[in-house]
Amino acid sequence: MTAEDVARDGPGKAFMLCNEAIVRGALESDVKVVSEYPGSPTTEILDTFSELSTMFDYKMEIASNEKVALETCAGASMVGLRTMTAMKSVGMNVASDSFFSLSYTGIKGGMVIVMADDPQAHSSQTEQDGRPFGPNAYVPMLEPSDPTEAKRMVKEAYLLSEKYGVPVLIRTTTRVNHQSGVVQLDKLDRKPFAKLPWPHPPGRFCTVAEAARNFKKALLERQRKIQEEFEYSDMNLVKDTGSEIGIVTSGAGYNYTVEATRILGIDPSILKLGTTYPLPRKLIGDFIKKKRAVIVVEELQPYLELHVTAIAKDANPELKIFGKWTGNLSEALELSPDIVATALAGVLGLGKPVDYESIIAKANTLKTGLPDRWPTFCPGCPHRATLYALRQATKGMKHILATDIGCYSMSFLDPINYGDTLLSMGASLGVAAGLQYAAQEKIVAMIGDSTFWHAGLPGMVNAIHHNDDITLVILDNEVTAMTGQQPDPGRDYNAGGQPAKPLVLEDVIKAMGVSDITIVDPYQVKAAVEPMKAALSRKGPNVIISRRACALYADRNKRRRGEAIQSNKVDKEVCKKPYTCIRNFHCPAISIDDNDRKAVITKELCDRCDVCAKLCPFGSIKLREGE
Amino acid sequence: MADKEFSVYMCGVGGQGLVLLSNVIGSACALSGMRAITGEQHGLSQRSGSINIHMRIGKDVRSPLIPIGGADAILALEALEALRYVEYLRPGGVVVMNSRVQHPIIETGEHVKDKSARYMDAEVVKTRLLQVTDKIATIDALGIARKAGNALTENVVMLGAMSTLDAFPVPDDAVEQAIKDGVPKKAVEVNLKAFKMGRQEAHGSLCNIVKCRKGFPEPMT
Ligand SMILES: Cc1ncc(C[n+]2csc(CCOP(=O)(O)OP(=O)(O)O)c2C)c(N)n1
Repeated sequence: MTAEDVARDGPGKAFMLCNEAIVRGALESDVKVVSEYPGSPTTEILDTFSELSTMFDYKMEIASNEKVALETCAGASMVGLRTMTAMKSVGMNVASDSFFSLSYTGIKGGMVIVMADDPQAHSSQTEQDGRPFGPNAYVPMLEPSDPTEAKRMVKEAYLLSEKYGVPVLIRTTTRVNHQSGVVQLDKLDRKPFAKLPWPHPPGRFCTVAEAARNFKKALLERQRKIQEEFEYSDMNLVKDTGSEIGIVTSGAGYNYTVEATRILGIDPSILKLGTTYPLPRKLIGDFIKKKRAVIVVEELQPYLELHVTAIAKDANPELKIFGKWTGNLSEALELSPDIVATALAGVLGLGKPVDYESIIAKANTLKTGLPDRWPTFCPGCPHRATLYALRQATKGMKHILATDIGCYSMSFLDPINYGDTLLSMGASLGVAAGLQYAAQEKIVAMIGDSTFWHAGLPGMVNAIHHNDDITLVILDNEVTAMTGQQPDPGRDYNAGGQPAKPLVLEDVIKAMGVSDITIVDPYQVKAAVEPMKAALSRKGPNVIISRRACALYADRNKRRRGEAIQSNKVDKEVCKKPYTCIRNFHCPAISIDDNDRKAVITKELCDRCDVCAKLCPFGSIKLREGE
Repeated sequence: MADKEFSVYMCGVGGQGLVLLSNVIGSACALSGMRAITGEQHGLSQRSGSINIHMRIGKDVRSPLIPIGGADAILALEALEALRYVEYLRPGGVVVMNSRVQHPIIETGEHVKDKSARYMDAEVVKTRLLQVTDKIATIDALGIARKAGNALTENVVMLGAMSTLDAFPVPDDAVEQAIKDGVPKKAVEVNLKAFKMGRQEAHGSLCNIVKCRKGFPEPMT
């Protein structure tokens, strides 16, 4: 699947990622303004919009954070244009302040917010369930289970959004966003971009006190009408097989349910909910009425289960309901077809279709001694060097490291195990402020450039204003690396390569009132130690900026310029096995030769940052030439 | 179950180009009017970590995740990763694995502490896997990719080898077309070459143990 497929005019077919299908749905709906901040599992929505932005006339920003992104879309939708933003559900936490108000004021042009949960916390700090945002804010919520449905629901969401003047949530989970499938492409019927005159009376989008109370009355009425509409929506699917066993499910849970019924060879009735707020209560009531037992299959919290239970009180008080509350499924981790098959077999008293436990037990025996391979810093990653230098600079200095969200978060994992606190984007500074009051140790905060712009600024203001004794280390690798090297406010370009005004970290911080700023190059790893040490010994607030481009980003630019990516090798004549290139460094390109126990560098992996060469006390690491 | 379903568990190390493979197979399915879905990994795990893609072909397949014991094949771009996901292989399923091992940093770190430690290698992996299936093909994909002209085509060599399987339902010409559409223009030639060389390699290592397509040696009985 390529971006060209997303842009190709229909009718036709293409194999695409659900996130690409979401973009396609927005393009078919003539979306005009897009603003997002990256975050897995929605990042490919941003990347695809960004890549296509020169081929279409929509305006796009890679925003400084999710709240700004949502507000940007809100502003354009107030005028009357169609907009889209997408974020992971922890991003919704950031955006939620305006999100709640926006439900009160409403919008004019269609506004769609894609909000993705990450069961299993594959790429997230928690397994947050974002669904409560829908009911809590009275914002309608649709849940697709695959790319085809996602594209369709985006289009429906725009219609719904404009019909009721309310933003619409598309709620997904990782296994929906990151599922590819064959999607039908419809015609791209796009009108030329045009600014519109402001059509509203004064105060139209202002909510407080009496205005808020009036909005609330109106939104309750809106919500009643939407619920009525959802009772008959074909986004909900009822498959009544006549079985007295019913399954109520949605999204990814539906996919696993279908697979599980195939594994078990059973044919229960299924209610697949696509409109998960407001829930179609009558539809659910009708479905459960003639059932003996209902099993609720959903990711994360028992949200549907709670409502099915409440609805059953009148619709079918005898109904047996199985799900998370009964312990048949867990609220922890993500579902899978085998988990769902096992749960269904358990409830229905069926024999095990497949003996999963013994397969797993056997597999675990075979895997004895198989080393873990957790994600880690790429070869050439400047963070590895910064962390090495920081450890050297803090030798003998008792300190606490309040770290933050980004690739550098991985420092607390095996085998580096460096870092003490990690909560959410920007939290390093706030937490550090508390630590310096309470702890006896030196307080070091660590944050990436993108995270600094996203949510670090208020913490910085706070630390400066209160003269908090913190040394902040900013790892400036020029981009938002973790999510795929998107440009951040420090770059001179933005979405689709359009020119942008670069903000300079040290200028901004200086203007805020801190002049104690030390800038180091982590690739000069040894030279970085002394200036870092000096800065750490001074009273904060002060700042160390460790500046070097993300290796993947730098490589991409090198390739674009036609430059070769070089590699190093170990001169075995010289190597005396001090393992300085391995201890506390742990580069995936470096391993040990089983024969002579000397270090070796894998040519295909090495990025030639040359940091290991600088660390080697014998000078055995050299440029690989003529191979 | 409907006929002609095929589920392959593809795995490797972040950065090896697994997503290209699933895109090529999926696009080839779209070209030939077949249904295909995937469960992919993007995000954090791509940072030199273990990664996997569940690739499923068939008109009734609905779950993007292959159930445990449900994969017709494991396609491993790195040897250790073939073992990491062995529970997904169905009884008698096929393993097509790269002979290359990328040593995990955790293992290397331990070897610094323990001088007698030795890395787990592809032979050990194969011996372990033999306890669940006798259909294991080991391919020197890096060597072949270098011969094809670009070490980065290792992934496509592996795809070439797997595509000879009789059970792999996607037509060759559709796969080749999808490679042409899916890789950068200047890399089309070398990728097609890598694909062909991967197919040739399968003669000696795969088609003597499992049923391959017509034109490839019949399996030994
Ligand atoms: C509120 C929120 N939005 C988005 C994310 C996803 N995310 C994780 S790390 C990261 C970027 C970090 O960039 P930076 O601080 O520059 O560090 P780098 O990855 O470049 O080292 C993002 C956007 C998140 N975890 N939380």
